[in-house]
Amino acid sequence: MKLVNSSFWKPYLLLLPALIILVGLFLGGVALAIMQSLGYFPLLGLEEFTFDYFREIFADPHFLTSLGYSLYISLVSAVISVIVGVFFAFQLMRLADRYRVINILYKLPIIVPHIVVALLIFLLFTQSGFWARLAYRLGWIEEMSQFPALIFDRRGIGIIFAYLWKQIPFVTLIVYTIFKNINQRWEQVALNLGASKIQVFWNIYLPLAMPGIASAFIIIFAFSFGAFEIPLLLGPSYPRTLPVLAYQRYASSDLSQRPYAMAITVVISLISILLILIYKKIMDYYQLKK
Amino acid sequence: MQRSHLIRLIIVSIILFILLFPLVFLGIWSIGSSWPWPYLIPQTLTLEVWLDFFSSGNKAWLALRESFIIGSGVTILAVMISIPAGRSLAFYQFPGKELIKLLVLAPIIIPPLAVTMGIHINFMRYGLSGTIWGVMLVHLIPTIPYSIKILTDTFRVNGQKLERQAQVLGANLGQRFFYVTFPLIKPGILAAGIMVFIISFSQYFLTFLMGEGRVITFPMVLFPLVEQGNRTLAAVYSWVFILAILIFTVILELILKDRVKGESDFYIVD
Repeated sequence: MKLVNSSFWKPYLLLLPALIILVGLFLGGVALAIMQSLGYFPLLGLEEFTFDYFREIFADPHFLTSLGYSLYISLVSAVISVIVGVFFAFQLMRLADRYRVINILYKLPIIVPHIVVALLIFLLFTQSGFWARLAYRLGWIEEMSQFPALIFDRRGIGIIFAYLWKQIPFVTLIVYTIFKNINQRWEQVALNLGASKIQVFWNIYLPLAMPGIASAFIIIFAFSFGAFEIPLLLGPSYPRTLPVLAYQRYASSDLSQRPYAMAITVVISLISILLILIYKKIMDYYQLKK
Repeated sequence: MQRSHLIRLIIVSIILFILLFPLVFLGIWSIGSSWPWPYLIPQTLTLEVWLDFFSSGNKAWLALRESFIIGSGVTILAVMISIPAGRSLAFYQFPGKELIKLLVLAPIIIPPLAVTMGIHINFMRYGLSGTIWGVMLVHLIPTIPYSIKILTDTFRVNGQKLERQAQVLGANLGQRFFYVTFPLIKPGILAAGIMVFIISFSQYFLTFLMGEGRVITFPMVLFPLVEQGNRTLAAVYSWVFILAILIFTVILELILKDRVKGESDFYIVD
């Protein structure tokens, strides 16, 4: 009897240290963020729950602009990263193992910290950066200011470039592993039956890799949606992305701004969670198709 | 067939060039002392900034050391937490398992920004904010999802057969872990360790918020340089940053490498 009992608790016991961090720090932090966003902030003498802060931020045009700006940047960079990353992974797989060194080199951006990525983009794309100089040399522009402003611009081109550079290798890494493990025979059968190479890609490789592609998309979208460094270093002063906006309110010496900051971070989290639900739906759909 | 191979090679080379050129360019900036518009290459080269960095008494060294201490601490903690957790998720069926798996992956999706801002006040209350310990604790949040996932997969691939065999042969818990389990999961520990270290080492925002300006890691020193557009100095520091990560990776690989050659063959059993 004792044996049965101890084996019942064993998996929980093994998980205990992880759960202390995940529940104590992570869930605790989430719960505190939610409570503070709902106006429960005893330190400031606020003890009544209210949706006022959410109501107010959604009535604030600055917040709505930032929400749109953040969604735009994360969506554009994630979609392009996935398309280029999958394409690159497919080409790499087709080249087989003959070029080992390529397989190591393309992963380098993954380990480069975001602050450094911001610097790279800055050095290359400012109006006195490398591409502007090259354009000048080629006679395309006559002075610095004619080069389009890609950094600190309202279209967020510099921010998107930074994310692309960092995310494309990440998508490639995940998808390449899946492509490699797909049984070669299916392709041979399809080719025998007269399928074109494009059909092989669309009807065999892409659907089989879809769960991996979808999870890569979610990870990079959620990361850039909640990230702070790159939009702060490469973004314009208006509009700010949501995390930067949240931090500005948080760091304000006026403590009554805190609940607004928390409401913004809760909105960021909710949108990310919504994505997970969509991801689940996609996965279920592909499960059914199989 | 030959032509399509060539086209493929060209496409791959172009993408690879786009990915690598910025790093080379960064290297050139780190040795260019005078590089006015519109020159494509620096007009004079200097190693001064590099030498300056390596001269003793530079504050950046202290920051680099702080980063190493925190990164190593977080790596050890995360791996120690993830080994039992990975084992549990790989080998046991129990009520609530799906929920826990979801909880493990949640910090990847819910931004650490929200969590850290929420918990900051409590860290202040317990005197943890502004200390190395507080910073290491919050670094665990974005890192353990990856280390638990990697170690769960490692345990699942290895299975339990060899451990059972050792148990039948009379090995106790400690012996089983050090002579059977640990050698088997070493590659997983290495992969998880590298991942955790990179995330912790590159962390700016969490350190900034929880360190309250009193925990100065390397990103704290680099960030203002990038912000001010101090190109040469920022380029040197950036390369140091990347090299530090690579060096740690190599060190970890050396520590976890099998000391006796051919030893690993021993474990290849069906």
